[in-house]
Amino acid sequence: MTFIARRLIAALVTLLAAAVIIFVMLELLPGDPAAVVLGVNATPETLAALRSDFGLDRPILERFFRWLVGFATGDLGTSYTYRIPVAALIAERFAVTLPLAFLSILLAAAIGLPLGLFAAARANSASDTAVMVFAEIGLAVPSFWFAILLVLLFSVTLGWLPSGGFPGWDRGIVPGLKALILPAISLALPQAAVLARIMRGAALEAMAEPWMRTARAKGLSLPETMRRHVFRNALIPVLTILGLQVSFLIAGAIVIENVFSLPGLGRLVFQAIGQHDIIVVKDLVMVFSAMVILVNFLVDVLYGLVDPRLARGRA
Amino acid sequence: MTHGQAAKRLAGILARGALVGAALFSAAAPGFSAQDRGQDTICMSLEPPVLDPTLGAAQAIREVTYGNVFEGLVAIDRAGKIVPKLATSWTVSPDGLVYTFTLRPGAAFHDGAPFTAADVKFTLERALAADSKNAQKWIFQPIAAIETPDAATVKITLKQVAANFLYGLAWGDAVIFSQRSAATNATNPVGTGPYKFDRWTRGDRLSLVASQAWWGGKVAIPRATFRFVNDAQAQVAGIRSGDCDALSNLAAPEAVPDLQADKDLSVVIGKTEGETIVAMNNGKKPFDDVRVRRAISHAIDRNQVNLGAINGAGTPIGSHFSPTQPAYIDLTGRYLYDPAKARALLAEAGYPNGFEAVMKVPPPAYARRSSEIVAAMLAQVGVRVTLEPIEFPQWLDRVFKNRDYDLTIIAHTEPLDIGIYARPDYYFGYKSPAFVDLMAKVDAASDEATRNRLYGDAQRLLADDAVNVFLFVLPKITVTRVGLDGMWPDWPLPANPLAELSWK
Amino acid sequence: MRRGTRWSFRLGVLCAGIVVFGAVVSLVWTPYDPTTIAIVDRLQGPSARHWLGTDQFGRDVLSMLMRGGVNSLGVGLAAVLAGLLVGLALGILAAATAGSILDGLVMRSADLVFAFPVVLSAVMITAIAGAGAGNAVIAIAVFNVPVFARLSRAAALQVWSREFVMAARAMGLGSMRITLRHVLPNIAGLLIVQSTIQFALAILAEAGLSYLGLGVRPPDPSWGRMLNEAQTFLSRQPLNAIFPGLAIALAVLGFNLIGDGLRDRLDPRFQGAANRQARSVIR
Repeated sequence: MTFIARRLIAALVTLLAAAVIIFVMLELLPGDPAAVVLGVNATPETLAALRSDFGLDRPILERFFRWLVGFATGDLGTSYTYRIPVAALIAERFAVTLPLAFLSILLAAAIGLPLGLFAAARANSASDTAVMVFAEIGLAVPSFWFAILLVLLFSVTLGWLPSGGFPGWDRGIVPGLKALILPAISLALPQAAVLARIMRGAALEAMAEPWMRTARAKGLSLPETMRRHVFRNALIPVLTILGLQVSFLIAGAIVIENVFSLPGLGRLVFQAIGQHDIIVVKDLVMVFSAMVILVNFLVDVLYGLVDPRLARGRA
Repeated sequence: MTHGQAAKRLAGILARGALVGAALFSAAAPGFSAQDRGQDTICMSLEPPVLDPTLGAAQAIREVTYGNVFEGLVAIDRAGKIVPKLATSWTVSPDGLVYTFTLRPGAAFHDGAPFTAADVKFTLERALAADSKNAQKWIFQPIAAIETPDAATVKITLKQVAANFLYGLAWGDAVIFSQRSAATNATNPVGTGPYKFDRWTRGDRLSLVASQAWWGGKVAIPRATFRFVNDAQAQVAGIRSGDCDALSNLAAPEAVPDLQADKDLSVVIGKTEGETIVAMNNGKKPFDDVRVRRAISHAIDRNQVNLGAINGAGTPIGSHFSPTQPAYIDLTGRYLYDPAKARALLAEAGYPNGFEAVMKVPPPAYARRSSEIVAAMLAQVGVRVTLEPIEFPQWLDRVFKNRDYDLTIIAHTEPLDIGIYARPDYYFGYKSPAFVDLMAKVDAASDEATRNRLYGDAQRLLADDAVNVFLFVLPKITVTRVGLDGMWPDWPLPANPLAELSWK
Repeated sequence: MRRGTRWSFRLGVLCAGIVVFGAVVSLVWTPYDPTTIAIVDRLQGPSARHWLGTDQFGRDVLSMLMRGGVNSLGVGLAAVLAGLLVGLALGILAAATAGSILDGLVMRSADLVFAFPVVLSAVMITAIAGAGAGNAVIAIAVFNVPVFARLSRAAALQVWSREFVMAARAMGLGSMRITLRHVLPNIAGLLIVQSTIQFALAILAEAGLSYLGLGVRPPDPSWGRMLNEAQTFLSRQPLNAIFPGLAIALAVLGFNLIGDGLRDRLDPRFQGAANRQARSVIR
């Protein structure tokens, strides 16, 4: 298992380098969190007192290591703006971003996978072309524009769904889902397009394998073969891509949350930049990066485990 | 393969769980129907970051807590007048240095502690302390000594006469705390007001319930909720559907005509203290030349800016003073829109072909939109403006602190803040001994008539010097469901006192 | 080459052509000055005077779309070119020194850049340096560098392993020579394909950034900002939220289809690499 150990070390080094870059970049950002909190009438003494409360009067290296050690031990510090632990703030916002990401993956898979399979089964037919046209359009339409179009139709014109905001889960699951459905659809569209293309490609590859002919010869119908053999074989590459998409999905959620004013992580990071709540920005960018690095690491390991020789032996 | 079956079973369990959960939660959640006379829901744009007004300058903290949870010795009423609150009366010594407050009997904090002179002394000393984080320390700085001869009397001696001392005590930054709860007011505010804090669901809403122990007696609406709705479209939808009983200040002025047409709603366009200005760096060429500043004032049509930026809901101003103030004088005729005159003035100042300038623009929509209109107008007289959008923290750092700018657009929302033009290092770079002298006289003025006359002179002087281009005061667009009375039409300071509300 | 492919390639040229044509024409002529404000004419629908209507300040939407195209395409092009040049240099350097510390460093740095969500880094870059076209280019280019570095490394390694290169090497030809004479000409086609696809992605990224207010500065028009502003006036003038989106989609669709078409003409040995790259950078 030295392979996994090597990848793990590489991932940790990447994470550490990311931490240095994030810290340095945010140090370069001009501004004073105390001035943002206290406004335009604050006296210099008051500003100094608050900066000292925030620990901003300490030397830069000390602040870096305090932050790093804190992050490693789960103590993310206290928000300058909200005066509550950043960890609690992030946990609250996760309750919006995570369901949003989950919902859109679900939608993307539910739309993209059957479409891809369907297109592969009828390769080079009119339906295949239609699916591929859908995929091309899905990739070309900016998700935030799609979001605006959905709002135009379902909120402004029909009045069925809210155009933005989030009521909080304690008001019931249904109002929460209603607030998330349009954002989830806008996020899912490009993902569904990607999945449809990849599913189609993987399915075509699987269909070209010799055992396919055997299965058909044994009398299995095409839809049945597709379901029982092609789909299962194509699933491995598709799952890999799906895993990779998780991180892109989270990045996409940053824009979409701002379109819909959803109180998720993406909106939090924008608000924190707007309020110079640097500690929150640092922690959040670090969390985002850590997620991407973790996903990449898992995919790497997965590839290592599913050794090409093993894969060939199974087929 | 059992994988699929397992997944199916899991999905089934999850679905059932979701249904049960939904039923549970919707049963537990309080009803939010609009016409429930026992409660009301006020929707506002921004959520307060904390609930302690002495911890930060954010307006949203005051909108929620002022006059509801917390009270000061005195308060500002809806007309902008100073009225008694925790002090029933006060006297000022003839030399203007000693203020003696008689405190209200029977007032108490929500945790049961009685309100006494010791709380006043504690609050003021806390704000004055070296490590104080009060955003408006200037209010307290004139204080020389605080004495409490008995539990119902507070005697404050000032170092020098400060005309706005009492006015400052009415601000949200000077509300009275109890020593027992001062440290935890950020998330669990305990005050003496008509409503006590109930629950805060961050990102969504905050609820208050009537305090049984309030000195003012029983309020008309026992339960109130503030909802934080950032999205302008969602605000409009919320007031229409009844999710909101009132919008304290509609974020989308362009929606006013639609809302006015709805007979279930009433729309009032009021004023705030937010003087919106095109600030010019008076300390930097070419803006150090009064002819250039006057040229720019003539080149901007404030009515068009008002119309294009906030749908005409603002009230035009001609100096740095809000029409909500009794001392306000109308100077909007001082520089009429006249591009030809502007070009002539520029030529006279040595810029016949105009010049280039950068305008740093903070994020609020009124600023971003105004900046584009102003830039187009200035282009007409040869002043080529590049717009540089920046975030508010960087605006504070570059423009406000380091004065590294040519032009900017910002609303000064602090009430009665004309005195900023007398500050030596203020970002306008305006240096006028005459103005500093006027402000000193205002501070020393003993009666209101004299003070108002002096404020008038100050407004005229700023207009004559064309220090900045004065556009308009930001509107307060109050939308209420018909039947709910008592929302403030104007904001002499940002507040939504719930005790003044009632259902018809 | 499949018939469908040739057809979609032509469609791509048509879509991209419309957008490019509008942008090029706007350099010398637009129906109106895209920055001239006339508040009285605001939020009009399409008419004979304003074919696509006016925005909230009474500016002509068609003129803004045309000039906005210059900004979108310009920022996208600059970002991809910058990413291509730096990435290519790093990639072939890594391939020429395959297995060395330098190679490892380049590849690990690429991983590092991929670890940051694009939007977040762009937000931070523009917050530090200020919003504007130049910084939008930098923000987008940063994410194109590793794409091109990985791709050109992989492709160059493939070329290095071919027989004629091994032969040239055995004859004592230096790395520099081999790179210039054999590697670059052989991977050029692949790079052109990838650049087209990256260009489409860069247009999408520019639109996203300017939607968030981080792109070119006002009053210079940009598609993303037009959408952002139109969102506020959605109930009064919904069409203003339609046209800029169509322009973005048309441009992205066009260059995507062109890229796909070019890929199908590519040396089959490289098609796998091109596919993989294209997938991994989507949003």
